[in-house]
Amino acid sequence: MHIIKLHRSLLKIKNAIPRYSTITALEESEYTETPEYPPILDMTREGKLLRRRQSFQSKIQELNTIEEKQIALNMPRYYGWQCIMLNNDKVPYNAMPLVQYYTRSHFIPVAKLPEAYNEIEQQASNILQEIKPQIEDAIAIELTDVERNFKFLQDKSIKMQQEDTITKCVVRQINRIIMNNLSDNLPHILSTQIDYDARHEAFWHIGGVDPPTTTVKWRKENKWPKSTHYESTDRPVQYIGSPILTLRNRHPLKPLIPYSEAENPAFKVDKFTTIPGSVGYFREFRHGTNIPGFWPGDIDEFGLLSYHGRGHILDRKTSFGEQDNIEALHCQAMKASFGWLLAQANYQGFTTFNDLTYPLVTQTVITNGKLWSLYAYQLNTIVMHNDTVDSNPKHNICFGTKPLQLYETIENGKVLGLNEDVLIMLLQFYMNAPVERDHAMKPYLGKDEKVIADIEDDNRRCWLEERYKYLVSNRPKHSLIPEVYLWEKIYKIQHNTRFFEAKRRPFERGINPFNRRLDDHISPYIPKVLREYPRSKKKFEATYYPEV
Amino acid sequence: MSTRWYPIYQRGNPQLRVFLPNFWMKLVRPHPKQLPNIVHFHCSMEMTKYDIKNYLEKIYEVPVVDVRTKINMGKFKKDVVKGYVIKEDDVKVAFVTLPKTMTFKYPDLFEKSINEEEEHAKSLDESKKNFRKYIDHNKSRPDIPSWFSI
Repeated sequence: MHIIKLHRSLLKIKNAIPRYSTITALEESEYTETPEYPPILDMTREGKLLRRRQSFQSKIQELNTIEEKQIALNMPRYYGWQCIMLNNDKVPYNAMPLVQYYTRSHFIPVAKLPEAYNEIEQQASNILQEIKPQIEDAIAIELTDVERNFKFLQDKSIKMQQEDTITKCVVRQINRIIMNNLSDNLPHILSTQIDYDARHEAFWHIGGVDPPTTTVKWRKENKWPKSTHYESTDRPVQYIGSPILTLRNRHPLKPLIPYSEAENPAFKVDKFTTIPGSVGYFREFRHGTNIPGFWPGDIDEFGLLSYHGRGHILDRKTSFGEQDNIEALHCQAMKASFGWLLAQANYQGFTTFNDLTYPLVTQTVITNGKLWSLYAYQLNTIVMHNDTVDSNPKHNICFGTKPLQLYETIENGKVLGLNEDVLIMLLQFYMNAPVERDHAMKPYLGKDEKVIADIEDDNRRCWLEERYKYLVSNRPKHSLIPEVYLWEKIYKIQHNTRFFEAKRRPFERGINPFNRRLDDHISPYIPKVLREYPRSKKKFEATYYPEV
Repeated sequence: MSTRWYPIYQRGNPQLRVFLPNFWMKLVRPHPKQLPNIVHFHCSMEMTKYDIKNYLEKIYEVPVVDVRTKINMGKFKKDVVKGYVIKEDDVKVAFVTLPKTMTFKYPDLFEKSINEEEEHAKSLDESKKNFRKYIDHNKSRPDIPSWFSI
């Protein structure tokens, strides 16, 4: 009986396998006129690692949607990257070399805005005469006539919060006046969106930085070749900022200088290899996030202008000196401009591994209502990880002024000594019209699927949406992060006093829990009653992590 | 706050004009790769950032821009005799930032002694060579004392 069954199934298999009688034809196509060899691969350890990194980077480039790319950037780390935190309102002493290297920005101090703004200067000064009295009134009212009830937070100084609150009111008033008066004449102002207290976050990798001492120690213990002990690795960097007010439009601003100028060796930025802790920037475990103040799929996805407060300057020590305070403002502007533009570039499908194909521009204002510093920033490149940091010839460019005083004093409810030049420059920022570009803006995104909202499969779309939003929320994990307790370090690692115990902990089994991948978890269990009819053996729900 | 207190004045007592807190600071070798304007110190555990700044500015007239401190845990060691685990004392480390125009290079304290060491090594080599010669010389005549020779 059984043999008959076996015979039947063998017959079936026989039929399923195709049989060819064209062996001669195959042999002919095996030969070509010129010999074709497989590519010669570098089989050293470094070569293999480089190929692995490159395949990861190209897989991210090939992904279709913005959100999947963002999840893919975080795929190697379940507990998040140990990021160097660049907060917008924390600038330690002498941070400029670090910030310039980490954002690859060449800083050009200027007294007036760059040449690209010259055309609209005359027009701006005409408009200023109309709106000048309104602005004077608004400043005087906000600073003298309004009684405020401050609610202070515990974690920031009172002086700083007080100044930032007043700045916020002044900036909103000035923005309202300018927008209202310009919207009749300039069409781009009408279509511009305003965001208050937006959430700006950006994530990238920086290469060429010394490894932390713990890494060097680990390499020595694990007997790496001596020459590789101090080899630099990729260091993840996270920028977090919250501007007072931002404007964004559906078209990008015109480049300040031609894109070919980005490779000009005059714009080269000095290397800063010392560990960031020695300057005063420290690390934190978190998932890398790129958020330019809106979610993917918004039409107005290019930033025009962002306002930032400068209350943190009051918190700096007096020993830092005036000059360093001005440099701190430059650092803040470079971080804010680069961070916002990088997040916008990520929404165009570029990541820290796939470089921009065109320049992006933004304008940044740092103010406390009285002192105004204005910056124009052109983003040319965002790739600066360890493999390309030395070979990438492009640099970003930041033009910036010193803090300029808008007015001298306020007496009897009137603003005295208004500096018109500052307002003219500010108006030039508003009047700089965004223009539609004639090249492909999203070369690395899919044709039909650009965001996950375009995905037709309901399960996949909903799953990705939920996963992406949860990931970028950076909420603490439901289970505790793995830890080596101090008693274990003393009595198990440093001194082998408990050799008789079963070895169950990760460090005893040679596992580094922080190397866990994001998709290295069991997905939710499907109870039997909920499984598909009639019989489904699928016990766990499907996951749709990008394959990188 | 120093652990030594300024004695409270009682009428009739001699007034102390000088008060010395038991603070100390020790200059230590920095990490191999460090910014040139940062100096590392070990200091007394009671010193605050302000104390460190004042100590350097008032006594040594070193301009201090910023001070960061941390407490490093002491090493755990096995007691040589009894074999149980003991702990060394914790140490407070101060990272002092000088103005960015200034640089500090940790002095090479044993520059001279490198030559001395070399000389020492040379003489040691020579004596080793002589000993080997002596052994080789006496290889074929065991049971004969070393002084029995021409």
